[in-house]
Parts: sequence; C-alpha cells; structure tokens
Amino acid sequence: MKWDIPTLEELEDVIWKCTACGNCKTAYEYGPPPKNGEICPAGVEFGFDGNMASKGKIAFARGILDGELEFTEEFVDAIYKCTVCGGCQNQCELDHKPFIPEIIEAMRRKAVADGAGPMPSQKVIAQSMRSFNNPYQGPRRVRTDWTRPFKKAKKPIKNIMKEDAPILYYVGCTGAFNLPVRNLPVATASIFQKLGLDFGILGENEICCGSTAMRLGDVTEFQRVAETNLKTFKDLHDNHGVKTIITSCAGCYRAIKKDYSMSHEYDEMLDGIEVIHTTDFLYNYFKEGKLEFKNEVPWKVTYHDPCHTGRHLLEYDIDKDGSQQWVGSYLGKREDNCLYDIPRDMLKAIPGIDFREMERSRNNSYCCGGGGGVMTGYGDWAAKNAGLRIEEGMDTGAEHMVSICPFCHYNLNEGAKRVKSDMKLYDLVELLDMAL
Amino acid sequence: MTEMPKESAVDAAVTKKLVEIVGEANATDYKHIRYAYSYDLSFVKAKLPDYVVMPTCVEQVQAIMKLANELKIPVTPFTAGSNIGGLCIPEDGGILLDMKRMNKIIRIDEESHYAIIEPGVSHAKLASALYKFGLRWSWPVGPPSGSVSSNALCHGIGGLSGRYGLNSEEITSMEVVLPSGELVRVGSCAIQEDAWHSCMPLPRVDGLFTGWLGTTGIVTKMGVRIHPIPPILKVFTTSTEKLGHMGSYLRNLGNYEICDDLTGVSWWLSQVPIPYPYKPKPADAPEWVSFATTFSWTEKEKEAREEIWKMVFDEEVKKGTSLKETVYPPEALKARTELPSQIVGSTKNYTKQAGGGISWPGTFTPLNKWEPIYDEWKKILIARNLSPAVRVTNYRGVHYGMLRAMIPFPKQDPVATENARMGIVECLRVDLDHGGVPYKPPVDFGLEINKRAHPGYVSLLKQVKNMLDPNDIMNRGKLAL
Repeated sequence: MKWDIPTLEELEDVIWKCTACGNCKTAYEYGPPPKNGEICPAGVEFGFDGNMASKGKIAFARGILDGELEFTEEFVDAIYKCTVCGGCQNQCELDHKPFIPEIIEAMRRKAVADGAGPMPSQKVIAQSMRSFNNPYQGPRRVRTDWTRPFKKAKKPIKNIMKEDAPILYYVGCTGAFNLPVRNLPVATASIFQKLGLDFGILGENEICCGSTAMRLGDVTEFQRVAETNLKTFKDLHDNHGVKTIITSCAGCYRAIKKDYSMSHEYDEMLDGIEVIHTTDFLYNYFKEGKLEFKNEVPWKVTYHDPCHTGRHLLEYDIDKDGSQQWVGSYLGKREDNCLYDIPRDMLKAIPGIDFREMERSRNNSYCCGGGGGVMTGYGDWAAKNAGLRIEEGMDTGAEHMVSICPFCHYNLNEGAKRVKSDMKLYDLVELLDMAL
Repeated sequence: MTEMPKESAVDAAVTKKLVEIVGEANATDYKHIRYAYSYDLSFVKAKLPDYVVMPTCVEQVQAIMKLANELKIPVTPFTAGSNIGGLCIPEDGGILLDMKRMNKIIRIDEESHYAIIEPGVSHAKLASALYKFGLRWSWPVGPPSGSVSSNALCHGIGGLSGRYGLNSEEITSMEVVLPSGELVRVGSCAIQEDAWHSCMPLPRVDGLFTGWLGTTGIVTKMGVRIHPIPPILKVFTTSTEKLGHMGSYLRNLGNYEICDDLTGVSWWLSQVPIPYPYKPKPADAPEWVSFATTFSWTEKEKEAREEIWKMVFDEEVKKGTSLKETVYPPEALKARTELPSQIVGSTKNYTKQAGGGISWPGTFTPLNKWEPIYDEWKKILIARNLSPAVRVTNYRGVHYGMLRAMIPFPKQDPVATENARMGIVECLRVDLDHGGVPYKPPVDFGLEINKRAHPGYVSLLKQVKNMLDPNDIMNRGKLAL
C-alpha cells in the first residue's frame, strides 16, 4: 500500500509558521469568567521552554532542520517526553495548527529512521509488536481470556472468522491484555448481548491497530499492522458480512479513523464499513430509547475526556487552493467527530448519577499523561501526571471518574494510587452495563 | 532560515554549581533546551545562552546572581519571552534565568485593590484569579501566557492605559535581587514587611528597575494596583479618512477622561490578519477606525458617557472632519476589547498570513505628531511592500500617546526578514526625528536612541548601571550603551 505520512522535511514550511508567541503554553478562555489552566503535561513536569507545548517542540524541529540539533540521547529523550495530547494545538491559531501532532511525530519518525529512537524502554513495544502483534508481550491465546465468563454463562461470543456477523467488535490490545482494564470488553460485550446484537470478535486473530507504534515514530511497524488490518477488514466486509467495526479503545478508534486514512487505499479498503466508537454506537440506541436503564447507580462522578476521542478528532479546514484566504491558511476547526456531549449525555441519564464537571474539559481537557508512548517510556511521570488529574476530579466532589479510553483508565488508576485517592476509574460502558 | 546561533561556551563546572543551587531538574546546559531560548517572535538574530536555570525561590535567585557576579557570567532574565523586541535573547551567552517556576499570586487584597505576584504569573492566571473578586488589571494585547510583571517592568500598556497610564505606573512595590545577589525592596514594602500598597511617598527608586529591560536586577515580587470591573461596557466605534481627523477626535474625547482605552487603528491593522505582503485598502473602506472603551456602574453613568461622546462627535463633525460612526471589524474589535485575548495572543491578527515573524516600531509619541509620522511611515512601509498596520492610543487622557506599527514577516525567508527589519528601523528614525521615543527597543533601536540622546542622559544611564551592576552581567548589551 502507498502511504502519505509526511517527513519532517516535508513539514518544514508549516514549521516556520510558528511565531514562538507561547500562546500554546496555557489553556485560556476569555469567558467571562476567564478560565485558565495548565495544558501541557511535559511543561508542568519539566518546565523548560523546549519541553513545553508546541512552542518548544517546534523549536526542536527547527533545530533539527537547521542542522543545529543532533539526536543526542538527551535530545531524543526530550522529544519522547511529550504525550502528544494536542492540548497545545488547541490554543494555537496559526497555519501550522493542524499539523502540530504530526510535526512531533515526524521528529520521532526521523529519530527512529536515524536509529536514535525510540527510548530504550519503548523499544520493548516495538519488539513485542514484531513478536506478538501487540505491545504487551501477550501471547495470542490470552487475547480471548476476557470472554471466559461468557462461555461459562453459555453466551459465547462469536469468532467472526468462523461465524459471520454484521458487527465486528475490535477489542484492542489494552482491553484484552491489561488486566486492570479487562472489565471494559466484558461490559461492552455484555451490553451488546443485552441489546441482542449480532456481533463477533477476531479473537486470537486480532492484531494491534498500530497506534502505539505510530505514536513512537515506528512507521514501518505501524504500516505492517495497519495494512494487515485493512486487508482483514475488507475481507470481513466482502466475505463475512461485516458492515460496522466498533472499537471501545480511543487509541484504536483514532488510529483506524485518522492514521489509516493516510493510506491511498483507505477508502477502497473500508468501503461499505462504518468505524465507530462504542460510545457513539450506543448513543444511537440511547437516542431511540432502546437503552432502558433499570438499575440506579447512586454515584457522584466526573468525566475525563480522552485526547484520542476529543481534540485528536477535531477536523481542520485548510484553504487548499487559496480561494478563501491563501494556500495553506488554517480556516477553522469542526468538533463534529469529537465525543464530548455523547458520553456526558448518557452518563447523566443513568439513574442516580450525580455528575460533576472538572475545570478543564472537552477541548481543554488535561491529558491523563499516558499517551504518546509516555506510559511505557516514563511510567513514573505518567502516573504522577495522572495524579494531578485525579486531584482535579476530587476537587469537584466526585467519588469516581469515568472515561472512554482504556489507556486513560489504566493510567488514571495508577495516578489515584499515587496520590492515595479512593477515586476509581470506570469506563462509561461499565456504568451503562450496571444500569441496564 | 535563521542564522547559526552563537556557539556555546559551556563550562561543566558552572553547570554543576547551578545544579547545586536549583537541583538537577531546574538547571541544564543541554543544547536542545538552550536552543529553544535562542530566538523569539522578532527579527533579532538567534543567539544561544550557555545555561538555562529555573529558580523556584528568592534564595535560589540570590545564589545564582552571586555566582554569576563572581564569575562575571551574563544573566538574561526570562519569564515568557513573548515580547517582540528580542529582549530575552542573550546577546552574550551566559545564564538564561527562566522565572516561570516562581508563579504564585501571593495576595489579592480586595479591599485595598492591590495584588502581590511573582514574576511567572501570567495574564491568564491573574485574570482568572482577579475575576473571582470582580477585579481586573490592564491586560495587554499579547499572549495570555505572557508575564504580568515583565510587561509592567518594560512599560507595557494594556486595556486600562487610556485611564491609568502605563502598567509600570501601576506598580506599588517591588522586591528585587540585585546583580550582586543582594535583596532589596522598593515602595511601601521596604518600610513595612507586609505593606505593598504604594511606591509613594518614598523616593521613586522603583525607577531603577522599570524601563531598564532587565539590565539592573531580578524582580522577585511585585505589588500591582488592581481595579474593579464595572458591569456595563459601552464601546464607541468611529472611522475617518485621515489620521489627522482621527487624532483630532481622540484628543477631543481624551480630554474628558471617560475611556479606559481610546485607540485608532489603520485599515491594515483592523484586518485579521494584517495583509502580507501589502495590499491597497478597498476604495470604499475608511483608512482609520477607532474604538473607545468605557465601563459604567449604572445605566445613568453610561448615558452620561454617551452624552459626552455624542457632544465630542458632533463637535468633530462640525469641524468638517470625515468622522463617522462605524462598525469596527468584529473579530478585530473582539481581539482588542476582550482581554486577555487568544486572537492577539496567538498572533493570529498580526502574522498569520506572513508567517513566523512579527516586530514593530513601537513608540511613545505626542498626539499632535502622529499624522506627519504616519505619512512618512506609510511611504516607507509600502515601498517595502509592507502593510502600514498602525495603531495610535491615548494614555492617561491626552498626556501622551502611543504610535506603533505591527510589521509581520515570513521568518523562513531571510531576505524578507531583513526587509522588515530595515523598514522598522527607518520608521524609528522618522519617529525619533519628530520627538517620539521607542519602547521595549531591540538593540538596533537602542543604538538609534542613544545616538540622539543628550550626553548627560547616556552618562547617567552608564553611572546607574555601573552602580547596580559593576560587572555588567545583567542582560548585557540590551541598553546599547
């Protein structure tokens, strides 16, 4: 397959659009009342301007392109000390705005291509991807461990390679292999069964979406799994009747919707298939009144917006032919794909839920600290940052925090332990399943 | 492309000593970290510091300054680096002292209307905190992440300057670390530890630190006057065909001292973004538009302001000027009246089209000199294919005025950058010839200022500088002495 994944050199013109004004360093809204908050986890932790927000990362990119900065161990370390959360991107208003995460990842791709990246602790991921097709060094057979309760209850889940179904539930590696998060696929499948949906899973044949590899700059590994997945999806559509792919992992969702779209064959391979996040999928049932909540969940909860289902899904309008402003001008952003209201609407509709909003939310949500390979490369910092987010949640008076990303889920739980908080993380589907 | 930054003179022994003072996490000589401090928004050439240090308390600042003074290492103070005059680019390497970790709002005195802040407090942070008390500061048209104290120290302006003057005039007290490391205080806090309300009636030694571009000391705490937010906002917007007519209106209205901000901008500056390269304004568009921001506590007070404004408007029309009521371009108006603003903060309105670079001839110029200078500027800038994106503003009624042009340029292109720099310096010379004075000047401007200065003034500057900083370590070279 052919891919349009830009190199750092190809992004040079947009890199020079940054003024270094530093507007990206803080999440600010005029209001009134005015709102202000830290937005860059790396800036909060490391503080130097180079570490902070897109201003710092663009400086790194310029330095590489200028030939002034070489990939020393410390420099590569600084490049990977970024959650690529897009919080800085949300503050920017200049023409490089749509490309900010791409610029950061293009630096990583260059570091990997030059043999300098990723960080040693992250190389385990690449090795695991090659050996196990997942970043957790998990044997294939473990992928279906979460389905045991269903077998036991004599409600087995279809293996879609053996039994056709219109819906593929693409579980994702984190839900399948990461024990503390395993309740996510269980609750998802439980809801699907309660709704009487005809769905199946790839089971032991599922392989990683490639999101982690892409975030780390390992474009070769990303392309390998992405191409395999795209071919699998096409085969499932053509030969097994799959029309919908549901993912309950924000990372998988972002990868399939956005990263895969850089393939020239994307439209052809996914022709006739809708890719949708569980939350979005269930919302259709919710709107039609088909989610009948029978049980109360009498909890005070707050909601954490994952970057992958939030600002990473912003769509940017760019003047491609110069007919509106000038060629390459950033014209505006659209939130249509961002899952902001949907999870909140469903959460608030659960009987007994007392919803509390955190100060930083939606586009200005503060990253949990686990993205961009940080949870693997810098676990201690990831948990420390997650602790800050947990404290923000506690400030609302909430007892529990809800999210829709298994990565955030795991990391925020680690953060809660770090700050010795009783706050526990739940995926939205867990609460929905409890209420149904 | 930028020019190659100055190669470093890093001494590992100095790094070690700095680490001993602030800890490993807050001091470094890594080149990638230094590189990020080597340039800013302006045309000023990139130059590398040798070390970057982030102190977290006054004692650490003192220890750093003592070390730097002993070893005669230059020190460049930095808070956000969002000025457009290259003020935080080290001219001679040395220590880049990044103050962002000292960012506490120590006190908001809602009764006596002052706040005590550390240097890393941003406009966004203070705005959010003050609003809870119904209070405000004179927010500048800069990034919300910019530093309140640095803006004030460098004679920055804001949305209340029409009424109260420069933000430096709002400073009530300061704690300062001198280049020797000695801790001093100016204003009421010098007499009573906990009194931060006023620089008067003491000798105005706060002037040893304001307007000196960080060349005389490190301000570690600052008291600033803060003001209540009246609930009723009324913005009067007008247009004229000529700056002379606009100036007449602004002077007339300024006499009544009813506006928080009284500003006129040329058509090019009222566009978001400023057109780059220059393009002629549409024939049917007025060349000047203005906004006059007023706040009132009651409807009656607002009506009284409206009455005054109407009287002034009628007087100006009777004079035969081209003054009209107009609709100010909405996004530009929002950018200048809803402060702090991300529209200006992100430089969207300044340099989005040009890309990468923005700088200015920013000057204090008496109101009656605006028009002849603008006419010259327009010729200079258009000849260089740059938009004459000019702003004029009254300070403290009509006591003095600001005249400046925002000049965007594509920083990727060194020829275009130099073209902008040359245009700006030429504009500066014209302004100086008419009695204006540049503010927050890059070294290029400083040289022009000092060339024309009274010899006694330059001598006095040198004496004061030598008294406070005998080893010339503080922001070396920035005064162009």
